[in-house]
Amino acid sequence: MNETIVEARNLIKHYKDVNALDNVNLSLSANRIYGLLGRNGAGKTTLMSILTAQAFATSGEALVFGASAYENDAVLSRICFIRESQKYPDDFQPRHAFRSAALFYKNWDQEFADRLAEDFQLPIKRRIKKLSRGQLSAVGVIIGLASRAELTFFDEPYLGLDAVARQLFYDRLVEDYAEHPRTIILSSHLIDEVANLLEHVVVIDRGRIIMDADAEDIRGSAVTVSGSAEKVDAFLAGKKILHRETLGSLASVTVDEVLGSRERAEAQELGLELSPVSLQQLVVRKTMIREGGAGAAGAGPTAGDFADDTLEAKR
Amino acid sequence: MSRTMAVARMQLINKWTYIGWPLTILAASFLMSLAIFALIPVQEGKYGGGSQAPMWYFLVLGIQSMTLAFPFSQGLSISRRAFYLGTLGLFSLIALGMTGLYLLGGVIEGATNGWGVYGYFFKIPWVTDGPWYSTAAFFFVVMMFMFIIGFWFATIFKRWGTSGTLVSTLGSAVALIGLAALTTWLEWWGHVGSWFAQQTPLSISGWAALLCVVLAAGSYTTLRRATP
Repeated sequence: MNETIVEARNLIKHYKDVNALDNVNLSLSANRIYGLLGRNGAGKTTLMSILTAQAFATSGEALVFGASAYENDAVLSRICFIRESQKYPDDFQPRHAFRSAALFYKNWDQEFADRLAEDFQLPIKRRIKKLSRGQLSAVGVIIGLASRAELTFFDEPYLGLDAVARQLFYDRLVEDYAEHPRTIILSSHLIDEVANLLEHVVVIDRGRIIMDADAEDIRGSAVTVSGSAEKVDAFLAGKKILHRETLGSLASVTVDEVLGSRERAEAQELGLELSPVSLQQLVVRKTMIREGGAGAAGAGPTAGDFADDTLEAKR
Repeated sequence: MSRTMAVARMQLINKWTYIGWPLTILAASFLMSLAIFALIPVQEGKYGGGSQAPMWYFLVLGIQSMTLAFPFSQGLSISRRAFYLGTLGLFSLIALGMTGLYLLGGVIEGATNGWGVYGYFFKIPWVTDGPWYSTAAFFFVVMMFMFIIGFWFATIFKRWGTSGTLVSTLGSAVALIGLAALTTWLEWWGHVGSWFAQQTPLSISGWAALLCVVLAAGSYTTLRRATP
């Protein structure tokens, strides 16, 4: 196991009447790509801000490289966190922002930054406040990548970027990560797009960590069983149900369980279909259960409330 | 190179912000003043207030360094202390340079009989009457004061938002009015008047410098807990 470089202990962030972070405990190790997933307003940016000492926790402890980052140059110089709504000095152009980053990051790679700017077709001599949303995101992405900080946060880095630019970002990230291993925390709500990059997944919802597991372990940790409603329900009796959807006499039920080979064989005999659950579906289902939405066990048929990809695909 | 120095260098990457614009404003104001002086057909000293123009820009710079440069510095993981010292150091450097320019302008102005048109841009009655170091101190402190007051108001704004800024502005106004009322009530205006009459540009600079130090210290304690 790699050394732990980020450790959050009982972090609480209380705004006027909301708990932005509600007792968060987290431990991240070096040289991995983490996904910090969750809905808008779930607490992703708050958590990253507190870890990097850009914001302050109401209580609890956040340790990065073994110490608090607050006013700690030794720790801060190893962190890069360009936020989604990052502000820049009024007269700055992208090239000025890059030269600034070069002053503070000892591993800054100017050539890499130039190449990325070309890839993203970023006008580096235009004032930043005149850039489009996508170009603004590109500035942040380039600083994040070219700074090669040991701990780099990407805060919804794809906002306003087109599909090609997003793919470019994912590709460059993986390439550069392979050559220069470091710890990357990618906050996102476009889960399917980033699912393949992630080595470890942390899901946060309404200030609480609801999932914290290796991507490897998550794959196959849930399954959707579909077939005649009667048979499905009998087969899954007593199992932890994440979501249930019916269409006429057919049911499609997602369970938060790993099926053994005997169970799989049994399902086949009963004529039930098993399909994998994508990371995105799993996160959505788990989030909705926690928020008391439809799909909770025993909530009854909820067909039509939500589009179910698996069922739709079968029709 | 220390991170504090880097903060100052970072804000000089775009030369226009701290060097180009102040010089442009100074030059424009100077040329306009000169044109006006030349148009007034009087053979005696003409004084204008045009040399204060760059100072108002320094107020804006003070505000922007807090509202824009500070959040950017946070993105690059610069500590609040390094940002504060680097920015204040940069302010002093710019104020020092501008002071030098003002002194030089004053010397040339004196030697050329007001640019040949009896027009005085850098020379200000009372302010520049004393020895050169008193003039220098005055310009330097006034420039620093403009930076710092902008910076201070912006830290209040960053920390406590619009309501905080409003409260502190109104609070300062109320305090000043209260002081004036108290002075009237105690019939102290005579004393106040004679106190001001006794001041020299140098002693006024001293008092303003003291205020600068208080405001600068105040902004630091506020900045320590500010978020981008």
